[in-house]
Formats: sequence, C-alpha cells, structure tokens
Amino acid sequence: MTYASDRAEIEDLMARYLFAMDYHDADAYAECFTEDGVLDYAMGRLEGREAIRAEARVFKDKIAEVFKDWQGNPAKLRHTIGQQAIRVEGDRAWNTGFWWEMTNGGPQGSLATPSFGTYEDELARVGGRWLFRRRKIYNEFLPGRESGAVNPVLAMDRAAEGA
Amino acid sequence: MPKFTARAALAAAAIFMTGALPMTAQAEQPTYSASYAEDRAEIEDLMARYLFAIDYFDWDSYVETFAPDGELEFASGTSKGRDAIRAAVESFSKRIGEFYHTEDGKPATLRHVILQSSIRVEGDRAWARSLWVEMANHGPGDTMKMGTFGIYEDELRKVDGHWLFSKRRVLNEFIPNRHSGPGNPVNDMDALAEAAAK
Repeated sequence: MTYASDRAEIEDLMARYLFAMDYHDADAYAECFTEDGVLDYAMGRLEGREAIRAEARVFKDKIAEVFKDWQGNPAKLRHTIGQQAIRVEGDRAWNTGFWWEMTNGGPQGSLATPSFGTYEDELARVGGRWLFRRRKIYNEFLPGRESGAVNPVLAMDRAAEGA
Repeated sequence: MPKFTARAALAAAAIFMTGALPMTAQAEQPTYSASYAEDRAEIEDLMARYLFAIDYFDWDSYVETFAPDGELEFASGTSKGRDAIRAAVESFSKRIGEFYHTEDGKPATLRHVILQSSIRVEGDRAWARSLWVEMANHGPGDTMKMGTFGIYEDELRKVDGHWLFSKRRVLNEFIPNRHSGPGNPVNDMDALAEAAAK
C-alpha cells in the first residue's frame, strides 16, 4: 500500500463517519471504530464499539437539546472537515484534522456556523480496513475542550515515531 | 471482486421496487481496490472542475463534466443529455441574481464549495455522496455570507479513461422538498454499488 492509497481510504472513512453522525446512523457510526475503539468528546468518553454504538443511538436527542432552529425544532447539523495531517506507519495511522460545523439554526432559518475544533485520531488497519482506534474531539468554543496552545501535529509525530 | 451480501441485495431491491430508501440498512463494509486512490483523486478533480465551471459561468466546461447521456437533477427539475443540461443551468443562472445580489442590486459573486466526499468505486462505475456549501458577498454591507448547504448524490462512469457524471442529484437543506435524508445517504450508495458489482 502506498501513502496515497492509505490516505484515500482514510479520507473515505472520515466522510462516512460524518454522514453517519449527521444522519443519526448509529450502526454506521459505530462501524467506523475498532472493537476496542475509544471516542472522547464533549459529552463523554466511550470505550469499545458497543459503548460507542449505544452513545450514537442517543446523539440525535442530545444534539436536539443543543441545536435548535429559530422555531425551536431540532436544527439540521452538518459537521465538516478542512485540512488533515495524516501520518501512516504500517497498519497504524494518526490524523490531526480541522473540523467545523454548520446548521440551519440562524435567524429565520438561515445558515449558522456554531463552532470549530480539531480531531486528534489514532487509526488501525483491521481486516484490511482503516478504523478509528481513538478519536478525541476538541472544540475551541467549549470551555475545557479547547485544543491548547501547542501545535497538535507535534504530538502526533512523536506518537508515530514512538510506534 | 467486492464481497456481495444478501442484505445489500435486499436493500437495493427495496430501492428499485418501492423507491424508498432503506432506513435501517446495516453498515456495509466498503472494499477498496488497488486503484482506489487514483480513481478518487481523478473524481475529486472532476468535482472541483464542476464547481469552477458553475461559478465562472463556463457552461462548455460544465456540460463536459457529464457523460453525453448524463442527467442533472436540481431544484429546477431534471435534464438529460448535455444540451438539455446546458439549457437548464443557463436559465437558472440568469435568475440567480434575483436571490443573490449585493446591496446595490448587482449579482453577487457566488462560490460553491465541496466538503467531505464518500466515494465508492467498482470498476468503471462509481458513486459518491458529498456535502457542499455555498457562500457569496450578499451579507450586510456586501460581506461574506454562507447561504445554504446540501449534498450531492452522484453516479459516475469512466468514459474513454475519464470519470464523468452519469447522474448528479443536487439536494439543498434550505429548499422545501429538496432535503436529503432522513436516512444516511451513504447506505443507499453502498446498496447501489453492491448491486451493480454483483
């Protein structure tokens, strides 16, 4: 496998993850993680694919509490990714990615852009397929979930070199 | 050859027979061929060329992103074939200034942006589901404003070595009756791809 092919498959995983989340597809979401995968995000830290699946089943309700349109209905929330620094070493990979989100929660149903942050990921190739072993989600608009002052790519490179 | 499953067959059959998307389809595991990165790179380039062609009103380049018998479905209707597609988008483009204009009434400078894409390739056919957003200088004081977002649901075909759209469906979450979902759009893409790869 070349870097380009690993990267292409990891980018596809990232897109599948985002569609699964935004369309409340808990099974497709959970299948993006390894069996022992860890999701660490603003609302909790989940260990294992089944714990993540259970959490994903209530994403819709949790998100509906936070994101509403101007009439009080659950807003349409779309997460998206910008640049991604991806490092691959054999069957392990690391990603530092920039994400932001948009909704229809602005005045009179207009588009709003509530927040942005970073994804800091460890990935593993299991059965030929790249999956998240650990995804940590930072949000610069949530006190306590900011990514910090240091370039996160440095820690990713150190982790990759340590492996 | 990709693994084919009975579950995918049922999901695909449900689409063809009822027109309904499988709401609870299980996640299929995508397979990636040795040429996936190459195909994906070329398809991403096509998607970028499509957007530059729209935003700069270059309808010659625009229609060339479609296969000769390609189909475009968007808010104004469905058009089949490059001539029909050109007529539809030129007509739509002439009216867009009514909706997107600067404070002095001039047509706004509109830019479409493509975000994440899930792309599935099976031989010389491919399918994609992508998020898009558009922005223009039609905010207060002609500032930048993001207007709407939605998804593209695409079928692609490799024609004489070039990836082209055989069908592009443009959905917009801010236009009634043009919303995507509510199911995960990637699931019906997987079902279509697996049925085609049988």
